[in-house]
Amino acid sequence: MALSTKHLLGIKDLQKEDIELILQTAVQFKEVLQRPVKKVPSLRDVTVVNLFYENSTRTRISFELAEKRLSADTINFTASGSSAAKGETLLDTVNNILSMKVDMVVMRHSASGAPHFLSKHIPAAIINAGDGINEHPTQALLDAFSMQEKFGSLKGLKVAIIGDIMHSRVALSNIYLLHKMGAEVMVAGPPTLIPPYIQQAFGVKVTYQVKEALQWCDVANVLRIQLERQNQPLFSSLREYNLSFGIRREVLENLGKEIVIMHPGPINRGVELDSDVADGPFSIILHQVENGVAVRMAALYLLSPHNH
Amino acid sequence: MKILLKQVTISDANSEFNGTTQDILIENGKITAIQPQLNIDADQIIHLPNAYVSQGWVDPFVHFCDPGFEYRETIESGAKAAASGGFTRVATLPNTKPIIQNKAQIEYITNTSNQYATIVHALGAISKNIEGKELAEMYEMHHAGALAFTDGLMPLQSSALMVKALQYIKAFNGIIIQIPEDTTITPHGLMNEGVVSTQMGLPGKPAVSETLMIARDIHLVEYTGSAIHFTGITTAASIQLIKEAKQKGLKVSCSVTPQHLWYCDEDLKNYDTNLKLTPPLRTKSDMLALREGLLNGVIDAITTHHTPVEVDKKVCEFEYAQPGMIGLQTAYSIINSIFKDTPEHIKTNWLGNNIRNIFNLPNAAIMPGNTAELTLYNNAETFSFSLQNNKSKSANTPFLNKPFTGKVYGIINKDKVFLNESSYHGS
Repeated sequence: MALSTKHLLGIKDLQKEDIELILQTAVQFKEVLQRPVKKVPSLRDVTVVNLFYENSTRTRISFELAEKRLSADTINFTASGSSAAKGETLLDTVNNILSMKVDMVVMRHSASGAPHFLSKHIPAAIINAGDGINEHPTQALLDAFSMQEKFGSLKGLKVAIIGDIMHSRVALSNIYLLHKMGAEVMVAGPPTLIPPYIQQAFGVKVTYQVKEALQWCDVANVLRIQLERQNQPLFSSLREYNLSFGIRREVLENLGKEIVIMHPGPINRGVELDSDVADGPFSIILHQVENGVAVRMAALYLLSPHNH
Repeated sequence: MKILLKQVTISDANSEFNGTTQDILIENGKITAIQPQLNIDADQIIHLPNAYVSQGWVDPFVHFCDPGFEYRETIESGAKAAASGGFTRVATLPNTKPIIQNKAQIEYITNTSNQYATIVHALGAISKNIEGKELAEMYEMHHAGALAFTDGLMPLQSSALMVKALQYIKAFNGIIIQIPEDTTITPHGLMNEGVVSTQMGLPGKPAVSETLMIARDIHLVEYTGSAIHFTGITTAASIQLIKEAKQKGLKVSCSVTPQHLWYCDEDLKNYDTNLKLTPPLRTKSDMLALREGLLNGVIDAITTHHTPVEVDKKVCEFEYAQPGMIGLQTAYSIINSIFKDTPEHIKTNWLGNNIRNIFNLPNAAIMPGNTAELTLYNNAETFSFSLQNNKSKSANTPFLNKPFTGKVYGIINKDKVFLNESSYHGS
């Protein structure tokens, strides 16, 4: 079995079978990660560069661990303190790195479509680790993996994506993935943080009442308020946001049912998620992080030169 | 010089010879005879297969980037691209370095372009340094030959300054050109806001950013009794606003670009930086409405928004790419390919006659006694724009190597003959 694509640029370009293959492969790698010796030789002699043009803790560490567990050789690049800070173009940087015989590129970039641009100009396989406000495919895959682990299947599952939808690549990738796998999606948040055409673009349900979304859903995937991406003030204050759109414990307790809380991290505690919710019994946030390594191992393995 | 044009079909709504095939004699830059057959010797006899001739085409909004950005275009390369595309006159944007904002800079454009077949008019800045704060010296620029006034790629945002500008230019029956865009609404938008931008994860510019500015400027034109030309409109709603303003008798006119008639936002799905434009490509229904607006006369004219960009600013991330495309050499072929069944003289009105009226340019009707300012073309032959026939210093266009129906032979202007292929010369 092989993926239908050479790169993992976004969930948008994947077939349902691709998603299933990645998730199935991740199950096997998760099993590997439970062993005393967590390393397999699948990517021996494969060199991967982690190109991070934007800050990242979780995703970068998760990818690096996934690569190391697969026995790949890894190199790390961060934009600050590099040739990019001196004005080198993305294409020049990547071509220079590739000329040193690098096989795969994992890239995070602030510009939507940057990995798509790169894929037209370089031969190496590219995994998108987040591009602008477009997609973050491995996050959606690990979210799906975590939901599947909890519920058995994604089909018919009701997922509410809550918060800053406008600036979230996690939202877009999740919507693409959940729809392909037969789940239902509702987005919720303040109207200024929800793209006006989202209903027409994806056929998702839209609500401005977080409570309505919580009552409807099986899973609430709560997004981070991306203060760094907001060029204009889009809501009044963090206090008002928390009181009106934040997930607080008493709201959950009054639902009359149990739902699962997810968050791609990093959490703004006391803004979109209160601490007693993030750390509470409904939260599977740390499982998401754990599963991230297995899912990324699966993506790297399936896209590696050994499989193409 | 004595030039004899053999067997050309005249496409000129202002000529009584419109639709007929004639020989045209030109002596020292003037048309001296139009007859079915003229058997006269001449310095140059031009006989082109199935040729049409119209009044010279005019593009009032092109960017020749000179001075300051000569690596993208110069007045020389721009003038040649214009002539090759059939344009006998163009007006070039003030967004240069330095900004075109005084008499001396207007004269630089005029003097530098004097030797070329295409007349290059200057557009002067409305505001000093195109900062949108204080009026530039428009009165003096007008007398130095500025065709009209615009802040070009930086649409004037301040209502207060727009009122003053519209009032000020009344002293000389001037005209303001504006890309209608309220840039305070989603200043970071990269394409039309809609279903496609949402699916692509790109920040959008909503159509209302255009209609808001058109509505404001129409109110200000009504208040001041002055004149405005909206260049490159993009939305169906804009057409409606302009239609109503025209019905009121306001001095409002508008144009559309070939690229907005050919492409829509759906074509951006591969993040093609050549389709990153200001104003952006809108939806398919907008695109169709623009075609309709041209046919029913609400949209007066075609402009190319010819914007040369060097390769490094196009082969990069979509967000960082410089907007714009070149367009002078492909305009006619695109228009002719879209409007196959439209009479020739209607198309040449869009490309020439209507713009001459809006900007009070000299009458060049194809009649004996008039100045010979002519475009020669063929509406049936195939044409592909290529790196070989490109006259611009830049090649940022999605139309490269695409076959179109309709080909420009060249122009006759200022007693000069510019033909695209040397084989066209002689009899």
